[in-house]
This record gives sequence, structure tokens and C-alpha cells, in this order.
Amino acid sequence: MQGLFAEFKHTLRRFRGQIIGWGLGLALYGLMMGAIYDTIQTIEGLEELLASYPQEMLAFFGDMMALSTPTGYFSTYYTSYIPLIIGIFSVSAAAGLLAGDEERGTLDLTLAYPVSRSGLFWGRWLAYAVATAVILFLGYLGWAVTLPYSSFDVGFLPLFIAFLPMWALLLLFGALALLFSMFLPSARLAAMASGGLLVANFLLAGLASLNDDLQPIMDVTPFAFFQGGDALESIKWSWFFGLVVVGLGLALIAWLLFQRRDIRVGGERSWRIRRLRPARG
Amino acid sequence: MKESHALIISQLVKSYGNVQALRGVDLEVAGGQIFGFLGPNGAGKTTTIRCLLDLIRPDSGSIRVLDLDPQADPVGVRQRTGYLPGELSLESNLTAERALRYFSDLRGNTIDWNYTRQLADRLELDLKTSIKNLSKGNKQKVGVVQALMARPQLLLLDEPTSGLDPLMQREVYRMLREAQASGATVFFSSHIISEVEAIAERVAIIRDGRIAEVVEPQRLIDLAIRRVHVRFRESVATEALDRIPGVVLVDQHDGRATFQVEGEMDPLVKAMAAYPVSDMETERPSLEEIFLTLYSN
Repeated sequence: MQGLFAEFKHTLRRFRGQIIGWGLGLALYGLMMGAIYDTIQTIEGLEELLASYPQEMLAFFGDMMALSTPTGYFSTYYTSYIPLIIGIFSVSAAAGLLAGDEERGTLDLTLAYPVSRSGLFWGRWLAYAVATAVILFLGYLGWAVTLPYSSFDVGFLPLFIAFLPMWALLLLFGALALLFSMFLPSARLAAMASGGLLVANFLLAGLASLNDDLQPIMDVTPFAFFQGGDALESIKWSWFFGLVVVGLGLALIAWLLFQRRDIRVGGERSWRIRRLRPARG
Repeated sequence: MKESHALIISQLVKSYGNVQALRGVDLEVAGGQIFGFLGPNGAGKTTTIRCLLDLIRPDSGSIRVLDLDPQADPVGVRQRTGYLPGELSLESNLTAERALRYFSDLRGNTIDWNYTRQLADRLELDLKTSIKNLSKGNKQKVGVVQALMARPQLLLLDEPTSGLDPLMQREVYRMLREAQASGATVFFSSHIISEVEAIAERVAIIRDGRIAEVVEPQRLIDLAIRRVHVRFRESVATEALDRIPGVVLVDQHDGRATFQVEGEMDPLVKAMAAYPVSDMETERPSLEEIFLTLYSN
């Protein structure tokens, strides 16, 4: 694992801007949602209004009928779609961890230094996992500072724990993006493919709550094991660790592929599509 | 394994899909030598160098770098090697110093920073400038500094003076000779014949993925066809010169003549002694001309 720590430090430094940008955005959003919790509770007729919304819309935003409870509020305004938004960072950053540098041509020189491929891979992966965690932690801090001043009746630790499933889910889709980047022609394509799967899974989760026929498919997807606002009450550690383990498993396959591959000098790869020619004679 | 050899490559084969880049490269480079590696574009120079560092994996064949197998111990090889890629890319948002500090980090911070600064000063490289604001030549200087700063036992340099002005090229040659004097082996690829002539002790020519020749640089130049321009004090009959073996008169007018000479210059120079020569100039053959001579035979 030679070079792991050096790569970890360097990659984390490269993520600085994204951590600040995404983290502050999430913190401000958390601050706002935490701050207006009491105001939302006092809106008259809100429940009736929500009840009039079509089921197809409600299906994608958690338990909107339970807005008066911290769990329902947190589900609706945070865990229902924040993973989708932070997922943009997650899949694009993970897809570019190695393939991005390879396309820019900088990986060639980095790997000519006394750093093992394993050290490089896991150093960068660890930095990515930490960067994602720090972004979510900043989001947590934004919400947490409002706790003493609102009737959002949740402690600091349960709120912190409720962010963990989001981290596990993002890690899993990040690992998927990294794996895709090992065999798809470009980091961009890997980010698009894994991001597409993230969105598809989000939509499937919503549709499956409307259509029972979709439930068997939904049951084997990551979102089935993603605990949204419910984690405020009691986190299902088996689901959390399940997502983490699957994410690590995907990263492990990506690592194996990275061990065996030739490092490109630069540029994107291309698909090898053979032109079909009519048989002669 | 011969201990005096820095590199031993035998029967190295590497393909990219249907394209066979290396078709059985055999090469030995003695330790402490400055060794030139020449070949036309696409001949396999970069592929060979990248196999030495385990950046790409050969299909078959064996490599020993400083008595180590790069596939079995890539980190060991890289610990003792400095590398300058042919297409150098550096992280554009870093300053030159920050980039070098990162490379130093990858070597476990064992770099002598005073020595690194000396190298940068000699190349007139401002370490505070951001990589994205550096010219191609200045980026190349960063590449040269990072390759040399660890005082490695082996330098693998792919076109080391690409983009540098003649003054800086000479400074890099001096640095390479100093590295050699302190015991390092320098293995470099080049397209510039004067560069090869100036610093290389031996030269390998790779063509179509195979080593075509391993010779001394002077021998290469001797092999090639050169042009000799002669100005006579008065009009003379030069038909006799045209009959010298290996010499062809290609142009003659107004007391000037141009000859094409294959092989050594000695017969032409001796024959010239009988003529009233006022000036004589020899055009150095380009690498392409040398290849043409070699491969057309």
C-alpha cells in the first residue's frame, strides 16, 4: 500500500473546493429547513392541502402526511431527494478518481513514482469517502445548530446518525461509478451511467409505492435498504452496513480491474465497433 | 542477470488490440551509460519505456530493471527510477513547487529540496508560477526537474528536451552528464540527432517493434547520406569527384557544387585536396535521413 497516505492527502486537497461548495450549500439548506420547522407546523390547512396532492407526486417525497412529526418532516424535506442532489457530486467525483486523471494524462507520471496501484486506488477511494462524509457532516451541522431553538424534538446524536444511511447510499453509487470508469470508455460516461441508475432507483422507489408489481424489483435495489427519515427514530444498522459492504464490494472489483489494466497516456478510450462488411464472392 | 546491466529486455511483445506495438524487443543497456533510443513515430519507443515502469503490461517477454522485475516489484523499480513522459501532463491548478512537493510526497519526502531548487534555478524555472500559466517549454522544465530531483539510479526520459530552447537543451545535457558522473544510467528517446550525438554513448534503433541496430552514435551519422556544399575559387571540372565510390554530384553551378556522400567523408576530402576550395560545408543528416539510409538497405 505504498503511497496510500500521500494519495489520500493529495486527493482530499483536490476535493477542497467541492467539499466547501457542496457542504456549505447543504449546511445552508439544513439551516433553513431546521429554522422554518416551527413555522411550517403553524400553517393552517397544510395537511388538507397535502392530502389533495396526487398520490403520484406524494410518492416521491417521503411521508408528506406526517409533516408535523420530525421524522416525516426530515423525510420529506431532506432524505427524500438530498441523496439525489449530492449524488451528482458523488458519482462524478468517484468516476473521475482514476479515469479522470488518466484522461488528463497525469496518472502516467503519478504511477511512475514509488506508489503501488493498491496504494493509489485505496488512498483516493478513502479520500473520496471522507470528502462525502465531510459534505454530509457540514449539512448535519447546518441543521444541528437550529435544534436548541426549534421544537424539532431530536437530539444531536440521533440527527447525526440519521445522516449515516445517506453516506452509505452515496458511497455505494460512488463505488458503482468507479467500477464503471474501469471499463467504460470515459469518466464522463461512467458518471452518466451510474447517475442514471441513481435516478432510476429513486424513481423506482416512488413508483413501487404506487404499484405493487414493481415491489419485487425494488426490493433488490439499494434504495430498498436506504433508511430515510425513519433513521431519526431508530437506525437499522444491518441496512446501513449492508449498503457499506456492497459499496466496498463494488470498489473491490474496481480495484481488481485497476490492478490488471494498462494505464493510458491520455485521452478517452473508444468503443471497438467492427464495421460489418458484406461477404465477398 | 549481469549486474553491470541497468536494463535487460528480452523478447518483449506488446499488442494493443490488433496492433502489435512490440514484436520481440531485445536490448541490453550497461549501467552508468547514457543510452539513446531512436525510432520513427509509432516504432515502439514509448511502449517499451512504459513497460519498464509497469505502466502497461507486456504480452510476453521479460524485463529486468536494475536487477528487478517491474511486474513483480514495480514500487522497487520506481523507487530507483526517474521518469519523464513523452507527453507530459501536470495538474494545471498547482504551482510548479506544489506539483514538485506532491511528487516528493510520493517518494516519502526523501527529496533534497535545496538540490531541487538548484535544478530549477539552472533551468530558470520559476517555481511559484501556476502550471496552467507555464509555457510548454517551462512545463517541460518541471518534468526534467521532477525526474532528476531524487537523484535516481536510472533515468527513463522520453524526448527530454522537447520544447526547450537550445540554451536550455544544453543545460539539460549537462545535468544528464552530471547524473551519469554520479553513477546513474540514462536511457532516453529522441528525435534530434545532434542531441543523440552530443550525449549518447550508444544508441538503439527500434523499428516496427523490433530493435534494428545498436550502435555508437557516430556510426549512425557515418552510415547516413550527407550533403556537402563546396565553393571553389574558380570554375573547375568536378566530374572526377563524381566517380569516387559513395559520392554523387547532385548540383553544380557558378563555381559551387553539392555532393551527396554515403559513408565516410575521407575519400571526398582527400580528392578535394587537388582543387582550389574556398569553402566547404557539411549538412548534418536528419534522423529521418538516417532511418531512410538504414532501412532502404
